[in-house]
This record gives sequence, structure tokens and C-alpha cells, in this order.
Amino acid sequence: MSGVRQVVGMTGDEAVAHAAKLVNPDVVAAYPITPQTIIVERYSDFVNNGEVDTSFISVESEHSAMSACVGASLTGARVFTATASAGLALMYEILYVASGLRCPIVLAVANRAFSAPINIHGECTDQLVCRDASWVSLFGESAQEAYDETILSFKIAEHPDVMLPAMFGIEGFIVTHALERVETLSKQQVEDFIPASRIVRDRFSPDENKTFGSLVLQDYYMEIKRQQEEAMQNAYKVTKDAMQEFSEMSGRKMEIIEKYHLEDAEYAFVSYGATAGNAKAVVDRLRAKGEKVGALKIRLFRPFPSLDIFQALSGIKAAIILDRSVTFGSPGTIVQTDIASALYGKENVPSLHGYINGLGGRVLTLPEIEEVYEMSKEYNNIGMTSTTDWVGYRK
Amino acid sequence: MTKEAPDEFTRWTKEKWGSSQLPMGGTVPYHTAYGYKTGDRSAFKAITDKEKCISCMNCYYYCPDSAIIMNDDLKAKCDMVFCKGCGICSKHCPADAIEMRRVTR
Repeated sequence: MSGVRQVVGMTGDEAVAHAAKLVNPDVVAAYPITPQTIIVERYSDFVNNGEVDTSFISVESEHSAMSACVGASLTGARVFTATASAGLALMYEILYVASGLRCPIVLAVANRAFSAPINIHGECTDQLVCRDASWVSLFGESAQEAYDETILSFKIAEHPDVMLPAMFGIEGFIVTHALERVETLSKQQVEDFIPASRIVRDRFSPDENKTFGSLVLQDYYMEIKRQQEEAMQNAYKVTKDAMQEFSEMSGRKMEIIEKYHLEDAEYAFVSYGATAGNAKAVVDRLRAKGEKVGALKIRLFRPFPSLDIFQALSGIKAAIILDRSVTFGSPGTIVQTDIASALYGKENVPSLHGYINGLGGRVLTLPEIEEVYEMSKEYNNIGMTSTTDWVGYRK
Repeated sequence: MTKEAPDEFTRWTKEKWGSSQLPMGGTVPYHTAYGYKTGDRSAFKAITDKEKCISCMNCYYYCPDSAIIMNDDLKAKCDMVFCKGCGICSKHCPADAIEMRRVTR
């Protein structure tokens, strides 16, 4: 730790833009979409004012934005972009190209609900459905975490054992547009954390004769994909180490999963993103009433920290999963099914009660979360070990 | 322009390298199409008759894969490393000098 911590009031989007400014990426190619717009807007101000050395590429769509990022990244450049909802969906094809070509691009996602009906507010489905794209995926609860994860993502993505793109999400409006207290870092701290000189692999350059993005058929495709899986497995340890290093550098504790009053808990809320803040507030209220309840916040979604989650939830009666995302016809909520897979066949595991909530920015209030808690207790008492419900909607 | 595939590429195709050895993300050392032996899956082989060949070069121009080589004596010969066995040369030969023979493996 060095110097006095500076505290600034910033919205989530501004926090991301300011953190990216400290990183000073070589290329930013982005297209505006609510609620991500402010990230790109602020960043273009920095470019215009000469505060950064970035080439800012204005593109005509998110598909082009990610394509430009892939091209730039292949030359060895440090690349950043941001998007949301429909924009992320339009990028989807190139997400696989970015990870397949092993481009350590960092993508900020202002999580927003998918159309139709068209909605601009917070919901994490957009990022969660990109889980199979071989991108490291993180979630942030506050503007502070958005700030930290911007810097952290570069560290993880560019690690020679990983070399995969990374995305991190903050919920639209709930975090992106809410003014919060953010402890900033100095330029020097960020430069020490992610040095400008970094190991790059084969580079797309006039001086090197290489073919990038060639046709790979039955004979080699599986081997190339297997490399990605191994890189993803490496990303787990790299993220753990990077978070440890970041905690020491910033003085803010950062973990793959955050445990809140879990030691003696019988019930635990499991959530990610902004919902985690509400869950913790409810834990405080319920603890005051004498209930043995805790909360678990997932920050790293891909690679999924199966072992950490198993250890954290081991011995607990029931996990109440608050999932601000929607999946239709699925055996559970998106995060619930992952947790169920992580716990299956293990001893001493909790029952899982998943709740689809907060779609399209709908607020799940603290009393409603308390009701969810009572409902989960009821399920447990009658011996139901796995349930999935929608909460917070009118019948 | 390198006609032959670089050693590294030749090795990993011959030795069938696995995921731990292959370059990251499917990046391939540069070489031209000469490096790929694409004729090994053809079902027919163009057999040229040196005696019948009238050196008209029809086959040379019609071949879609530039697999006909004109020898110094201007007699057509088929390069089996690239020939896909399509038979176009044989159809266009006015002297009936090219016979398509089925390859048995």
C-alpha cells in the first residue's frame, strides 16, 4: 500500500472508464448502448483530451467492435471494449473467435435485459448466457468492484497461462448509474500491477510470417479447443493469485467468492452482482432476529469455482439462490444448475432453492427476500431439496 | 515464397501433435498452398500417354488445380500430389491421351 487513499464519488460506468484510463489500453473499439454508454463516452473524452494513448475506433455495430478488438489484440495490443444486452448478443459470434484465437480482450458488460419486450434495465442473463464462450467471467456488486475488476481483468486475461478474453458485469442502472463512493488507485500502482511490457504470443505483424484463423477441421479442432479448456482451468488459479495480489496492493479484500456470516449459518443466500448487497442487508436483519443465516457472493462465474462453493456451503441446510436472470424450461436457474452440478454426489451438501427475480430491473425488496427465506425454510421442513420459483411478479 | 511447408508444420502434421504441443489458438507457420499435399484423397488418377500427347496444352489450361505439369519435351504429365481426379483434362484432350484410372488403396 502506498500513499493516502483517494476517495471519489463515481457511478459504476464512470468507475470503469476511470479504471480503464489508468490501464491505458492501446485500442478501444466500442459502440454505445444503454446502460454502457457512459463508459465509452467518458473514455472518448479521455482520448480527445490526450489523457490516454489509446486509438479509439468508432465502429458501426458491436459485431464490428469485437471484430476490431480481435484484430487489434492479435497484433499484441492491449484492448478494451464495453457493451450490454443486445450488443453482447450481436458480439456473440465474435466472442468465440476472440477466445479461439486467444485474444486477451477485456470487456465491460453493463448487464441489461434482453428484448422483447424491449427493456433497458438491469438483468444478468446477457452475460450468463455467454458462459460457454471460453471467456473469464466476473461479476461486481458496486462501483468500487467495477473499478477493481476493470484492472484485475487485464491481469487475468493477459497471464501467459491464460491468454483468454475476460468480461466483467455490473448491473445496468442499479450499479452503472448509481453514484457511489470509490477508492481510486494511482497510475503507478496500476502500472506495477499490470506492467506495459507483457509476454505476447505469436503476433500478427508484417515481420512475422504466420497464418492466423486458419481452417482447422476434424484432425486438429479438438486439440485447439482442449487448449482453451486447459487455459480456463489455469484461469482459476491465476484469478485467485491476482485477487490476492490486488488485495495487498489496494488494501481491499477481494476473493473469488465472498463469505458473509457463513461460519455458523444454517441457511445461506447465494447471489452475485448487486443482489449480493441486498442479501447481506437481509442477513443483518435476520441475524438481529436470531436467525442463523449467512450469504455467499460469487464474483468469479467462469471458470466456475466449484470447490470453493462446495467448501463454503458444506454443512449448511439450504442455499437460497437469488438469480437475477431468466432461463426457460431449465431444471433450475442458471447459477443454481451450476451449483447443483458442483455439489452433486458430494456428502453434507445443502438443498438448493433457486429464485428467478429482478427481471428487467424489477426490484426485489428486503422484505421480499425475507419472505423468500421463510419460503425456503418451509420447503426444507417438508423435505423438498431442490426447488425453483419466480418471485416478485404479479400473478 | 517458400514452396515447401516449414519443418515445424511438416513435423506436426506427420507426428499428429496433440494439444500440449500445438501452437496456441491454431496459429500456423506461414507457407503457400505448395505445403499442403491435397491430392492424396483423389478417387481417380490421370494417366497421360506420352506417345499420344500432341502438346496442345488444353489440359494444362483447363486443370482447375494447376496439377498438369508440362515437361521439357512439352508432353503433359499429372502431378498426383495436387490432382483431385476430376477428369476435366481427360474430357478436353483432343488426342484422347489422358485416361482416368480408379485409385485402389
